[in-house]
Amino acid sequence: MKRASVLVALAILFAGGAGLLTAQKNAGAARLASFIPRTAGPWLSEADRVYDAATIFQYLDGAGEVYRSYNMKLLVSRRFHKDGRPDIVVDLFDMGSSDDAFGVFTHDLDGEDAGTGQGSNYKAGLLSFWKGRYFVSVQTEEETKDTKPAVLDLGRKIAAAIPESGPAPKLVSYLPPEGLVGGRVCYFHNYSILNYHFFVADTDILLLGGKASAVLASYKTAGGESRLLVVAYPDEAQAVRAYESFGRNYMPDAKKPGLVRTEDKTWTASARAGDVVIVVFNAGSDEFAMTQLAAVQELMAAAGPVRK
Amino acid sequence: MSAKSITRRDFLKTASVAPLAGALVPGLRSGQAAPEPRVRVVLVRDPAALDASGRPDGEAIGRMLDEAVAALVGEKDAAGAWKRIVRPDDVVGIKTNVWDKLPTTAAVEQAIKRAVMSAGVPEARLAIDDRGVLRNPIFQNATALINARPARTHHWAGMGSCIKNYIQFVPRPSDYHGDTCADLASIWSLPSVKGKTRLNILVMLTPLFHGIGPSSYSQEFTWPYRGLIVSRDPVAADATGLRVLLAKRREHFGEDRPLPMTPHHIFLADTRHHLGVSTEDRIEFVKLGWREGALI
Repeated sequence: MKRASVLVALAILFAGGAGLLTAQKNAGAARLASFIPRTAGPWLSEADRVYDAATIFQYLDGAGEVYRSYNMKLLVSRRFHKDGRPDIVVDLFDMGSSDDAFGVFTHDLDGEDAGTGQGSNYKAGLLSFWKGRYFVSVQTEEETKDTKPAVLDLGRKIAAAIPESGPAPKLVSYLPPEGLVGGRVCYFHNYSILNYHFFVADTDILLLGGKASAVLASYKTAGGESRLLVVAYPDEAQAVRAYESFGRNYMPDAKKPGLVRTEDKTWTASARAGDVVIVVFNAGSDEFAMTQLAAVQELMAAAGPVRK
Repeated sequence: MSAKSITRRDFLKTASVAPLAGALVPGLRSGQAAPEPRVRVVLVRDPAALDASGRPDGEAIGRMLDEAVAALVGEKDAAGAWKRIVRPDDVVGIKTNVWDKLPTTAAVEQAIKRAVMSAGVPEARLAIDDRGVLRNPIFQNATALINARPARTHHWAGMGSCIKNYIQFVPRPSDYHGDTCADLASIWSLPSVKGKTRLNILVMLTPLFHGIGPSSYSQEFTWPYRGLIVSRDPVAADATGLRVLLAKRREHFGEDRPLPMTPHHIFLADTRHHLGVSTEDRIEFVKLGWREGALI
């Protein structure tokens, strides 16, 4: 009897917990939905669809993994329809933090700046932007003379409705400004996303593991284009392991620790500072590579740690 | 890292990172298997595959499919060819793909259905399904599967492939998303599908060669290729379709533009899972019909 009572109590607690989660999800979805206009000129909206990290595949198939890798919390998708014209779809993601809203925005930086939110681009009927902890996509099924302005206008209205802004990831402040190619900075947590932007290895030799945070940037140099990767790990022990793993897998032939001339006659250099690992790829000279490593460490010292 | 990783430097040794063009080159892996017999892949194209408004034309597609299957199995006529694909006592599941932006299309589904019935399989013993295959009694009891899906770039797996089309045969598809879907081919060893696939049809009517936005789709990046790729080997069909997508990307962008997510599941299906062959030297490629703009 006592055991049955405990089971009943647990069931009530579980149901209550689930109910609370549902209530939270509904409230979150209502908040997201409130940022999206009901109409877009002559286009009228259809019923919203709501997804979380567990159900995102129902909507985006395996591509949902991209958003999951950036810790997405909730997505409200609203379709706008007008007979005789291409539909427009708004996908508004709550990414949980401005770091990850910025990050998922940087996943695809192609396009022209649309001047919306805290960073935006437009291409082929697709407007993407981030603001605060939200990432927003407004896409028409076909770009026409009517749909392009409608997409851009819808984006501006959504951006205006989102009340808060948010900072870009602190890691971005570790990037030396000199030579930095603007608009090409990517932020991520996953080695598949790293490889998407810049192939390093077919396995996770930097031990990003989804928990580390990384920023990848391009630098124009006299010798070409160099890449700078800065990774912050959850703690120093993980950074130590990652630094060793990278050295063992990527530069086993290094004559000096953390510095190797690669097969294309460029230089790769790496360093660790506390819980951060820094790697310079494709440097035109060993001097430039080492200068970049030192510059990052100076900026780190000035800006303070990523994790307090 | 227990096994040796393939790094950027391995590509630099071979030439440049350009060979990454959408794939991790299988030859970089040590322990290559000995040469195997070549597998046949048929590409058939017809301007009439799409009508004036771009809709699939069922009659033309039926004709293309018949020609391709006849060439695949080496029969002169379609009736004899389809009898080598399915037997009258088979229970046939036609695995389609219902993704709303680029589905297999009813025209292709019905062309397969008609052909299977022409080989003597009664309608009651065949079904067309995608997301319901695990609950579908015909698929549960299938003795033969025909796999048909459109070719497209994919924002996680690199390419929406024939191999990937079987992901609905597992209860939790996301279990196979690791390492950007590297081991999708392992699904083909599950009892529900193992050894049952008689034909793979990679639908190339309006392939997607570049994806943008959350859904990784824009009509702007599809084109009327008006083709079908047909093979008994899903890996060879996919590897051939991938060549077309990469060639189209090269044509459109004016430079080698690798698929950002490498479709290495296709090559691992060959080298790790031995499901089929992925390299051109092991594929007997047969082209039928319209040649203009074939790209490969």
